[in-house]
Amino acid sequence: MADKSLRISHAGLRGVVGNGLTAAHVLDFAAAFGTLLEPGTPVAIGRDPRASGAMLREGVVAGLLASGHDVIDLGMVSTPVIQHAIRRLDAGGGVSIGASHNSADWNALKFFGPGGIYLSTAQAGELLDIYHLRRFDFADWRAIGALREQDDAIERYVEELAEHFDFDALRRFLVVADCCNGTSSLILRRLEQRYGLRAILLNERIDGLRFAHEPAINREMVGLQLAPLVKPLNADAGILFDVDSDRVGIATEEGDPISEEMIQPMLADHLLPRGPGKLVITNLSSTALLEEIASRHGGKVIRVPVGRQAAIDALTGYRPDQIALAGEGTGAVMMPEFRFVYDGIAAMLAILTMIAERGQKLSRIVGGYPKYCMMKTQLPLVTSRIPELLMELQDKYSDGKVTVIDGLRVDWPDRWFHVRVSQTEPAIRVIAERRGEEPRELFEELVERVRRLA
Amino acid sequence: MREHLLKISVSGIRGVVGEFLTPGLACAFAQAFGTYVGPGRVVVGRDTRSSGEMLERAVACGLLAAGCEVVETGILPTPTIQIYVEATGARGGLAITASHNPPEYNALKLFNSRGLFFNNYERSELLDLYHQSEFRHAANHEIGVVRRDTTTARKLHIGRVLDCVDPRRIRERRFRVAVDAVNGAASEMTCDFLTEELGCELHAISVDPTKPFPRIAEPRPDTLGDLSTLVRERGCDVGFAQDPDGDRLAVADETGRVLDNDDVLALAVETALDRMGGDVVVNLTTSSIIDEIAGRYGRRVHRTPVGEANVVELMLAVNAVIGGEGSNGGIIFPRVHACRDSFTGMAFILDRMAATGDTASQLAGRLPRYYRRLGKVTFEHGKLGALMQALEETFPGAAADRADGLKLILPDAWIHVRASNTEPLLRLAAEAKSPERLEDVYGTVTRLFEQS
Repeated sequence: MADKSLRISHAGLRGVVGNGLTAAHVLDFAAAFGTLLEPGTPVAIGRDPRASGAMLREGVVAGLLASGHDVIDLGMVSTPVIQHAIRRLDAGGGVSIGASHNSADWNALKFFGPGGIYLSTAQAGELLDIYHLRRFDFADWRAIGALREQDDAIERYVEELAEHFDFDALRRFLVVADCCNGTSSLILRRLEQRYGLRAILLNERIDGLRFAHEPAINREMVGLQLAPLVKPLNADAGILFDVDSDRVGIATEEGDPISEEMIQPMLADHLLPRGPGKLVITNLSSTALLEEIASRHGGKVIRVPVGRQAAIDALTGYRPDQIALAGEGTGAVMMPEFRFVYDGIAAMLAILTMIAERGQKLSRIVGGYPKYCMMKTQLPLVTSRIPELLMELQDKYSDGKVTVIDGLRVDWPDRWFHVRVSQTEPAIRVIAERRGEEPRELFEELVERVRRLA
Repeated sequence: MREHLLKISVSGIRGVVGEFLTPGLACAFAQAFGTYVGPGRVVVGRDTRSSGEMLERAVACGLLAAGCEVVETGILPTPTIQIYVEATGARGGLAITASHNPPEYNALKLFNSRGLFFNNYERSELLDLYHQSEFRHAANHEIGVVRRDTTTARKLHIGRVLDCVDPRRIRERRFRVAVDAVNGAASEMTCDFLTEELGCELHAISVDPTKPFPRIAEPRPDTLGDLSTLVRERGCDVGFAQDPDGDRLAVADETGRVLDNDDVLALAVETALDRMGGDVVVNLTTSSIIDEIAGRYGRRVHRTPVGEANVVELMLAVNAVIGGEGSNGGIIFPRVHACRDSFTGMAFILDRMAATGDTASQLAGRLPRYYRRLGKVTFEHGKLGALMQALEETFPGAAADRADGLKLILPDAWIHVRASNTEPLLRLAAEAKSPERLEDVYGTVTRLFEQS
């Protein structure tokens, strides 16, 4: 792969600072965003702990001020905190500076519209057009914006959480949280101080240079430092956050790391009974357990292409009260009560609420679901042969139900597979799942065919 | 005339903010600067322009991206920033100010580790880096932080100025002083300096750094009507006016008359030479009064091309005690710092008044009398050589100095013609012992230009 890393996409700007992502990119992107937004509206910004965030912050502020927007700097806060502040402050939009689950040498800009909602693909496309044209609407010298710092965003955020969650009921639980040296610790400490939420924090120290481990949300990372400590500490759950706490991973009170795939089915099971007939929006690569749970509650699963942007766009097709949950199999979920913000802290509180309401241990809840076994891999890609590959697979597996909105997905009653091109790396992803046992035969056959053709 | 909406040159970067001077340009220039001075501390300060904060952020972004650590002084006069750079051992510094230019402009002034303006070599090396985009790109672990220190610099500066005058003698006089700081970077510091340190009774206008410039930013007799009125109405002993970044000083006497800037420099030179040894350095356009005063003290006057950097360079080379650029209100006193400094100027004028017991008008009235006239004409670049030749032939007996354009020195007058560094025009200056001789000389020159 290329030595330099810079990704400019609908998701914003992302790259390795000093080796791909430069100050010039940051300034131009901020100026483009300032040009896109409603003129003269204030913009809320915040950042994760990465050291390079200091540089990106200056560039973002300069670009926004120059395009005539006042900037409200919320400081070092999690992405969901920024999104809620955008709505509360009635800002025209917002910017989150942080590379979330990437390693410390990366950084990124993520952009939000009014209300703290994600930019639609159309809006994100317009932003990219302005960026590429470099036709920025810079303000006249009299109309340049002003910068103000506001340090109460976490406080207001936890107050909003307290409106939705019953901390009297959650106070009896003890949580071990792995903060991965990110900003979730700031929120958890406030929840502890104000509402008595009991949490033992690992990797609590905010660190801009190195994280205690890869800031990814997956079963392996849950198992690395967090899971072994849950049982000895007599805790009710282990919770893993990424650096900007928009995702969660979990371990049971027995110390078993749970697949990040399970977050969605659990929360669907928790939220669907509250409004029968509601929808769960997820992508084509996440577990079929969702359909089984949804059908139990009379709900329905809507499957969209993989990637945040597709989920965000899907939301706009429904009224908020039609949806129970939206998310991905990556531990990233959005709930309507929280205005469809990917929010790891809210997900944690929802899981604790589920434990409280059911009066069951987390291991019982997780163990109570039918077993689905997923196998996945990633194979190198020759771009020009993808259509050929997908056509061949479609012919071969024509006995199943075929979906072609994102690569190829084929469903049978007890199993499915999904073959698609990665959005972030030059690779083909192969995923297969089967109820009850591993789909080994199907999986190996697929891998063999992909290898031969791609 | 072409409007210079943006100029990237050896003087740095200057332009109309918005469409022309963009945050992207400022950031890239700062990153080139950070690459040039190397990873380490860089001081950033600014004046009170509405674009200052935005450019401050852009400059900080570029410096951090180059791996520098940023020390922000906030709104401060340029000389104060320069002193802070030198005193704190920083790698360099930037002042975000377009000095006396109108409010829609802004610019970056660049300082080396000694807090001095970049010399020609430094500036052209930096410009090459900028044009070639040869920037250092720091990785995450090399990126520094922004620190803020808004108090040390002003203490340093004021302390140095007070060491060079007799503050007690000034305080005893309880001078009534009028001030017009154009709502610029020196607003707060000037008020504190005059009242708290020099015990003056202050009558100030335009000392609110949050407000726009209420007058043309350059402090000249024709822009300081409000100060003159203030001096007269309040019966002040003296009036001081600054430009937005507090390096230039204009002085009004107790009658409200704004003194000629060359006379102000002359008074400062007198004050310095009266107490200390050393030569004087001024630019070619500065009045011959300086030669006369220096002559009284048996000192030498060295002349340089126009431009603060030129004057400072020679001052340091000959270890001059004082220097400056008469016409633009710059007093340079290296014991405080080798830069134009309105604070040194104010202290010297008050010190002179306290020492002599004279009024400001008496001090100015006792200076040797010369008559000066400044002007400017547009010109075509290709014709400049021929024009200069014709000029020289018009005054056959004159001694010629070609260090900066052409200066012709006659026994009782001189003429200096030079192309402006910042605008596409020729600047004319003439001085003579009598008004008649001045009109004679100046008229000859302008007629020559009109014919061509």
